[in-house]
Amino acid sequence: MLKINIQKKLPTFTLQINVTCPYSVTAIFGPSGSGKTTLLNLISGLDHPDEGEIIFDNTVLYSSTQNINLAPEKRCMGYVFQNDLLFPHLTVHQNLVYGYNLKDPEQRKFEPTTIIDLLELHPLIDRYPRNLSGGEKQRVALGRAILTSPQLLIMDEPLAALDQTLKDRIIPYLRNIRTHLNIPILYVSHSVAEILQLTGQVMVLQNGQILAHGDFFEIAHQTNVLPLLEAHGFENVLPVEVIDETHVKYNTHTLRIPPCDRPAKTQIFIGIRANDIILSHKPPTGLSIRNALPGKVLDIIESEGRQLVYIDTGKRLAAEVTHEAIEELNLQPGDPIICLIKTHSIRVGPNVE
Amino acid sequence: MLTTEEWDILTLSLRVGLLCVAISLPFGIALGWFLARHHFRGKILFDSILHLPLVLPPVVTGYVLLILLGRRGILGEILNDWFGIQLAFTWYAAVLASAVVGFPLLLRAIRLAIENIDPKLEHAARTLGASPLHVFITVTMRLAMPGIWVGALLTFARSLGEFGATITFAANIAGETRTLPLAIYTFLNQPSGEDPAMRLVIISALISLGALIASEWVTRRLSKV
Repeated sequence: MLKINIQKKLPTFTLQINVTCPYSVTAIFGPSGSGKTTLLNLISGLDHPDEGEIIFDNTVLYSSTQNINLAPEKRCMGYVFQNDLLFPHLTVHQNLVYGYNLKDPEQRKFEPTTIIDLLELHPLIDRYPRNLSGGEKQRVALGRAILTSPQLLIMDEPLAALDQTLKDRIIPYLRNIRTHLNIPILYVSHSVAEILQLTGQVMVLQNGQILAHGDFFEIAHQTNVLPLLEAHGFENVLPVEVIDETHVKYNTHTLRIPPCDRPAKTQIFIGIRANDIILSHKPPTGLSIRNALPGKVLDIIESEGRQLVYIDTGKRLAAEVTHEAIEELNLQPGDPIICLIKTHSIRVGPNVE
Repeated sequence: MLTTEEWDILTLSLRVGLLCVAISLPFGIALGWFLARHHFRGKILFDSILHLPLVLPPVVTGYVLLILLGRRGILGEILNDWFGIQLAFTWYAAVLASAVVGFPLLLRAIRLAIENIDPKLEHAARTLGASPLHVFITVTMRLAMPGIWVGALLTFARSLGEFGATITFAANIAGETRTLPLAIYTFLNQPSGEDPAMRLVIISALISLGALIASEWVTRRLSKV
């Protein structure tokens, strides 16, 4: 368990964090410049707060009152940076075992062969970082951090430098780490879609303050959190129950989703982008769309030039539509409406924990 | 091919050059790292003083050394009275003279090399469990290696060409401090010295050229990484 209670003055704002993270995987979400990276540097020991305390599993990492400031190499934090930061003069294998070799053999939890298999690094092992693609580099950086047998894995937007295809390829590896290696993870990202594929536990950071902390589904609709999510491509998050590989149950409705590997009866979250929802007055005929959710219009708001229609479908859904569409459909609060959702615009999220 | 006298001159020159590099390297690496990674008040002044021997006439550098370290010099007197060490007019003086004159070249090369290393790589190494010293050796020094090599080779080459500071501080003593340039100068002052001088000129040119080619080769080879 990570306990942080610190203050640090930064040029534009003061980072002021007082939080306890009991979950194994916590995502830190926030716009750029909100203090996310600084917070990670404070936890890893690369930077120190002005005052306060950082405690991880009963080890005091930093305490201004007790005058403790453990050096980064003594903190056992695996840090995956935004840019891979592989050592250019070492091969992939040498990079992977750099930290492993420094670790007391009795405290090693993972062997290079295991991690090389898990991250499928075999074909790259003798190459130098300059001969790797962005995604490959990030996988090596991930393996290098894991091989230090960290107590906590800290990841600072590890996928930010990659394009969507590569992201989609790396996320399964991250999920593997989460499920198989049992290392607590602190994951920084400004992409809700990315976060939801790893965890439902989120800490929202803005201007150095924690706006909200807890279950994503609980906090997503808070009025101070919502605008942040909207600015980054709002995701509707719905709790559902798995029926089979391609179907889930939402309230009394059955939704068709992209293939997912969770067992039946598992409670999971699914994510849908606001601009992937089509509104219709009538149930669809002659359309390929499988999913039609009936609901009631709650509200129509304009936020940063976008028209958002909120619909009550049991949980609140936000749909982004054009001005013209709102006029044409003559939408008013209280109107019954049907939300149409393409199967492949549904993202399968984490289990409800 | 070479006469015994020429051979002595050549080996003395090489000996002076190698020892000069050996004693300057630790200082060059330490100061290069310090200047690359730290900011402090008066850094420009400090840096300028370190670079002074590059622009001062070498004779002036030699004279300053003589004032400081000569037998009656401020430090020289202490060395002589307390430890019985006399530097001036020995081949160690020739080493020291070329070390001081060549130091800015070494420092500059190493400092630039270290400045070009992303400090975040060092941070990453720390989070992987490496102590600051281990990081310095396995990351910083290793990545600065091309710069260190180039600095060392340039200092060596500069030492082979050192004349002014050496003749002032170490004098021109055959077999002791008469390095290549001093020997050439001596031959040129003798009535029939032009031919032996020319042989030394060729040797001198070849070694210097070799050092420069080696430095270029090292840069290309190591900077590929």
